[in-house]
Amino acid sequence: MVLLKLNRKVRMKGILAFVMLVLGFFMPFVAHAYIGVTIVMSVQTPANLEFVEQFNAELAKNKQVNLKVNVITLADEEKLVVADNSELVIALGVKALEAASKLKRSTPVLGVFTPLPAFNSIIAKSGRELGNFSAILLDQPFSRQMSLIKQVLPKAQKIGVLLSNTSLKYIEYVRDEGEKRGFSIEGGKVKQETDLIPQLRKLLDSVDAILAIPDPAIYNRETAQPILLTSYRYQKPIFGYSQSYVRAGAIAAVYSTSNQLAKQAAEIAIKARPSSSYLPLPQVPKYFSIMLNYQVARSLNIPLLDEDEVLQRMLESDASEDM
Amino acid sequence: MINKLIHNSFFALSLMFFLSISSVWAAAVEPIKEVTEDDYIGDLPRVLTVSRLSQSVTDAPSAVTVIDRETIRASGIVDLPEIFRLVPGFYVGTNAGFIYNTNAVVSYHGMATSFAGTMQVMINGRSVYTPIFGGVKWSELPISIADIEQIEVTRDPNAASYGANSYFGVINILTQHPSEAEGNSVSISHGNCRNEAFYRHGGKLKDLNYRITTGYREDNGLDNRNDFKRTRLLNAQADYQINDTNNLEFEFGIANGTREDGNPDKDYVLFVPREREMFNHFELVRWQHSISDSSDFQLQAYHSTDRSNDNFTSTNLRANAAKFLKENGYSSAAASAVVSTFRDDQVSISNDIDTERYDIEAQHTFSPAKDLRVVWGASARQDEIYAPYWLGTKEKDKFNLQRLFGHAEWRINHKILFNIGGMVEHNSFTDTDFSPRTSLNFKLTPKQTLRLGVSSALRTPNYVEEKFNAKVMIPLIAPFPTGVVYAFQDAGNVKPEKIVSREIGYLGDFGKLSLDAKVFNDEISDYIITPKIQGFVSPPGTVNLSGRPRSGENGGNVLINGFETQAKWKPTNKTNFLLNYSYVDISSKEEETARDIGMSMPRHTFSGLLTHRFNALWDASYAYYQTSEVAALGDGGYVGLARRSDVRVARKFKAERTSGEISAVVENLFNEHYQEFADYNTLKRRARVNVRLDF
Repeated sequence: MVLLKLNRKVRMKGILAFVMLVLGFFMPFVAHAYIGVTIVMSVQTPANLEFVEQFNAELAKNKQVNLKVNVITLADEEKLVVADNSELVIALGVKALEAASKLKRSTPVLGVFTPLPAFNSIIAKSGRELGNFSAILLDQPFSRQMSLIKQVLPKAQKIGVLLSNTSLKYIEYVRDEGEKRGFSIEGGKVKQETDLIPQLRKLLDSVDAILAIPDPAIYNRETAQPILLTSYRYQKPIFGYSQSYVRAGAIAAVYSTSNQLAKQAAEIAIKARPSSSYLPLPQVPKYFSIMLNYQVARSLNIPLLDEDEVLQRMLESDASEDM
Repeated sequence: MINKLIHNSFFALSLMFFLSISSVWAAAVEPIKEVTEDDYIGDLPRVLTVSRLSQSVTDAPSAVTVIDRETIRASGIVDLPEIFRLVPGFYVGTNAGFIYNTNAVVSYHGMATSFAGTMQVMINGRSVYTPIFGGVKWSELPISIADIEQIEVTRDPNAASYGANSYFGVINILTQHPSEAEGNSVSISHGNCRNEAFYRHGGKLKDLNYRITTGYREDNGLDNRNDFKRTRLLNAQADYQINDTNNLEFEFGIANGTREDGNPDKDYVLFVPREREMFNHFELVRWQHSISDSSDFQLQAYHSTDRSNDNFTSTNLRANAAKFLKENGYSSAAASAVVSTFRDDQVSISNDIDTERYDIEAQHTFSPAKDLRVVWGASARQDEIYAPYWLGTKEKDKFNLQRLFGHAEWRINHKILFNIGGMVEHNSFTDTDFSPRTSLNFKLTPKQTLRLGVSSALRTPNYVEEKFNAKVMIPLIAPFPTGVVYAFQDAGNVKPEKIVSREIGYLGDFGKLSLDAKVFNDEISDYIITPKIQGFVSPPGTVNLSGRPRSGENGGNVLINGFETQAKWKPTNKTNFLLNYSYVDISSKEEETARDIGMSMPRHTFSGLLTHRFNALWDASYAYYQTSEVAALGDGGYVGLARRSDVRVARKFKAERTSGEISAVVENLFNEHYQEFADYNTLKRRARVNVRLDF
């Protein structure tokens, strides 16, 4: 009974969030021009520090030296305090974005290093609105990943995707983007942990490659070993979503570096600065890199071009597709 | 402006709409692990490190056959050595021989003996080649077939990578990684002459993955042979991920059981039909350290012990020895006279054999440039052997071995690949030797490869050939001297046998069809033989009651030419064909090889495996094996053309938390009574049922 009530409450909240999401988009609100940028992080990771450095460099390059950059490393549970109406807050990572979402609603917040699902739950939970709450997502568009697969395995026909309850909703997007490039997409559903390897084996029986989609229920530290080893036994490559996965044994991945994300963030910070401007909607990384694992490719007898060449070809094929 | 935004972000928005609804719904059901930036930028353990990645078959310097799990399952084999019937150029013979010897014969390119010692055999990189007789005691390995992930067979001398004794080829059996075998599995087989039960458990404790398999096997062997085998085994494997760049692997195995030994048709006086107890175990630890993306280091150490307890008493000598003496050149009268001087009715023989091995190996694999991959390393080994009957001493004998090896693979351009390697080996028997190898692989097209290769290897004499001093003393009444029944009196100083193998290989991949073919020329020199010693005289104070003993020495040259091919054809997703054929021609001079070895390998061997999956539940396979006439060496002998058909039918099932398979195998479906290895091993039709439950 209690559960039911809770369910209804949560569902109501979900619908509310959706309504707000759509409405918020059209609702004008007061926006102030900011005079500074506050970059918030919860941990000083190399990626975060690199971001800060490059962000400053980008501002300097664009002669935006009057835009003062302030960096805050937030301790756990510490409340974020930022000068009202004069700052653009760039939150690095999910924790920092969560903290930033509790700021005054009029403070513009741009999340970086944030996956889309996390962004969604933060915006739903905080009741913030699009328009001055946005993000450069970590999610690379599936089209880009399909484009990479096409360049690496031009003759591939079937691509397998492992999905848990969490990531099941992606299948249609993956399928659409795959079909555009002539791939048929086969999904393998992992209901519980013990299904993982059997489902993977089943997929590997029929597909030419596996595309990994970020999903902690499937791809995590513990499962990297059995997933990569099993695929290797079947002599089928895995396309990962991070440099780490490529280092661990995936054949290739599309990813964006801290520098690339910093460049995009700086562009947004500069463009949105005039008082009347909105932050753009959450967007996928504009600049990206690829990483190829030549050792794995060689062992699987897959000929690979140089990374630069492959990237160039991806950009060319994307350009022709976008018309 | 807004319109443009909507247009540009249509994808993002529609996705968000979908997600905001579903993620909230999911959150209400159970707390879900949400993706964070760590999933994208967090580190992961290195899994497919350079040393774990094997060369692609098309880049390898030699012919390589990979037998996967599915092929092993489909073949329906019950004994591990049988799988090698599906590798071109192999001869496999079931054998219930004589001494220490209820063992299958697995040989490649000939010289098949009851302890075929011309191949290196490893399990996860650990050599299981026995130092005393050479070869492998297949039935005593603490391994369950169900734990095997794949078997890599290098069909070429590969001393440059695996050292001496990687002579005609190398078999490396790889078991499943513990993380690939989570859960429980029970497998029970029952059939003619055979009962088996195995239980396996795989689990995970934080960063430790482990697997434990335990099993029981009962094998009544062949008709009219004294070859019952009972085996209990336990095998454990664990992998501990210390951090992203370091991991430790542990392996442990133990087996014991009863073996029947001795057969009345050869030695009915001393080595009587009897039972012996075998016991072996091993422990291995391996540290893998990933230095960088393209460089890693591995350190492996293992210890193994192998015991055979075999103390027995002969038959009544007075009653049975006369016939034996007559066979060894005594006249009837002399035989009776000798027998009357025997002091005892019987003689006791201590045929215990204990061998112990310590081995440590370090290996560094790295890629100094994108087109270059290098592996080098060193190893040291000590074998300790206690075999009072065979070595003629109660002292342990020690055999030491040190190696230094290196191999480089250089991709000159996208069409040409160059492999070069070598190993320097120093051992107690034959001092220092060097075995080099090289090959050029040409990619004719992206899917076709032509390979030209030359490789050399050595076979260190085993104890049989170098150090045996086997005899049985039979006390006679005074004043007569002691009687001696001789088997071996090795003079020692045998040089290693050398092989230089040249080959032209072809690999083609045409989508549904793939081909592997090679023509080869193996040149063997200093072929090791064990003839009876010319003009042997029993030392003063003894009288020779048997024929002359044997001694290892180097004979002449042997030339082996041939052709072998494997085709894999997958006409549909549900049907697979695997076909193997080999033609082997051995030429040698009989006076140089002590006996005619020209027929020690069937000239023609053919094998095929057809598997078909009818639906998600049912599948069946048909295996066919044919070998032309062969006269194996050692205890082997002439056997004629052999044909055999095996059939397997399996049905999978799945309940809520349990899945499994029930299967039936009929070996030698048409019940053609044929012989393998020697005329005393007759194979008939046998059937088996297996049930496997995974939960």
